[in-house]
Amino acid sequence: MDINSRPVVVKRMPERLNSRTAREFLRDVRPFLAADRPQVVFDLSLVAQIDAAGVEMLLRCMSEAHKRDGDVKLASLSDQAAVVLELTRTERLFEIYETSTEAARSFSGFLPNAMRQQLLHNKRSTQSIAA
Amino acid sequence: MKGNMDIRGLLLANSENSGVAAAAPLATLDVAGKSTLQRMAERLQQYGISQVSAVVEDAPSVDLRNFGLPSDVACVSAAPDRFWRTAENAFNEMAQSGAELVVLVRLGAYVEADLEKFVQFHIDRGGRVTQLASGGRKLEVFCISASRRNDAASLFRTQLSHCRIECPVHQDQGYLNPLAGPRDLRQFAIDILTRQTQTCPAGKETKPGVWVAPGARVEKGARVLAPAFVGPMARIRAGAVITRCSSIERNTEVDCGTVVENSTVLPFSYVGAGLDLAHSVAGMGRIVNLYRDVDVEIVDPKLIASVAVASSKRFLASAADVLTYLPRMAWQGLFSSAKAPQPDLRETLRQTSPALGNAAGFETSACDTEASHKFPNMVVARRYGHQ
Repeated sequence: MDINSRPVVVKRMPERLNSRTAREFLRDVRPFLAADRPQVVFDLSLVAQIDAAGVEMLLRCMSEAHKRDGDVKLASLSDQAAVVLELTRTERLFEIYETSTEAARSFSGFLPNAMRQQLLHNKRSTQSIAA
Repeated sequence: MKGNMDIRGLLLANSENSGVAAAAPLATLDVAGKSTLQRMAERLQQYGISQVSAVVEDAPSVDLRNFGLPSDVACVSAAPDRFWRTAENAFNEMAQSGAELVVLVRLGAYVEADLEKFVQFHIDRGGRVTQLASGGRKLEVFCISASRRNDAASLFRTQLSHCRIECPVHQDQGYLNPLAGPRDLRQFAIDILTRQTQTCPAGKETKPGVWVAPGARVEKGARVLAPAFVGPMARIRAGAVITRCSSIERNTEVDCGTVVENSTVLPFSYVGAGLDLAHSVAGMGRIVNLYRDVDVEIVDPKLIASVAVASSKRFLASAADVLTYLPRMAWQGLFSSAKAPQPDLRETLRQTSPALGNAAGFETSACDTEASHKFPNMVVARRYGHQ
């Protein structure tokens, strides 16, 4: 049984996130966002400068991911990024984690339970067939 | 004060203790409409010290005209490397022109001391230099006998850290704010607005707890909730909310829909549309977030920007805005879609800052839950990842 073989992509964001670098970054991550149910984590630990274009790009990525039933999560926010996201009221739209590992793990956080349910279901169906 | 004695005041302001913006001495920044320098000059005058001089360190963003000092206060600016020499010269000039006592205040800390008791203590003790202390902490406030120039010189040459003689200390229990950084600056604004200090906001109390200075414009639809202060020539645009001891200083503009909560917006600043400024001191292209204890530079003028200090430049910018208004409206009328309907609460909460351009209309999927359709008045906010 192969549950959630989809990869979680962790991408580190550049130090300066202005309209030019945001465009380049979006071009880089677009293939990952175009996948089925993309699971993407952006690591913002290096971000020292972010403007409205950078925040807009983050929202665009999130929008793209949601269209394909996926999600974009943020991790390791630098002070600069945290202040700008708070200022622009966008921090409430994202799930934000302390580290990239925690963010990546959160994608599969529900899996043990889901797996248990599926195993239970399989067991019941085999029992009913045997009966 | 003291009948026949010639007592003068000397105020010093330099940026050595400044943290909010190295570009300007903290004492020159407005807090609830007046700079600390101005408040202290007025306080000295209230105690009958009519001849007050100020020595202020030169800084790129400092414009002497903006200190708002009373017209009878002589103000001298000095380069950082000449600051203490200029201060000593100012003291010597006072001594030469007949002063008997000089009350020297370095800002620094703002203290509401009883200066009459302080001077009386100095006279009674017959000391040459007396220092003020409050709450067990020595302040950079001295009463100096003007004839004791060598003692004064030793003070100035050690940047007020040491005097060649032992100074008696006078304890005072008045209000004290160390004004050592942005946190203190913010606290000072809160204390003024909540009337913890004797000094008041520099404006008219339009309703209980709300002070609006002359020339300020609060547009229709904007809300100023007590306690709050709106400084001279400030503009609060439609839909903006100013609340929780926020202080909007002179010539600032808070754009449409922005919420300013428990924050100070420094003079000559622009705060973009649809932002959420909380627990911060903002201005000069920076935000000091007191909650996170960080000082960050904001490069995007759509978020935080500086407004020209020179009135001619501001006039030109306003004129250009007025001249391009009709063409802009015509362009919008021709090429934009139908007029947007009146937004409701749910719609407003869904939106991010209009400063974000195309992404401003981004809708959080968390608001589109099944439950939200069943209960139209319910707003579902997405939780943080760590909650």
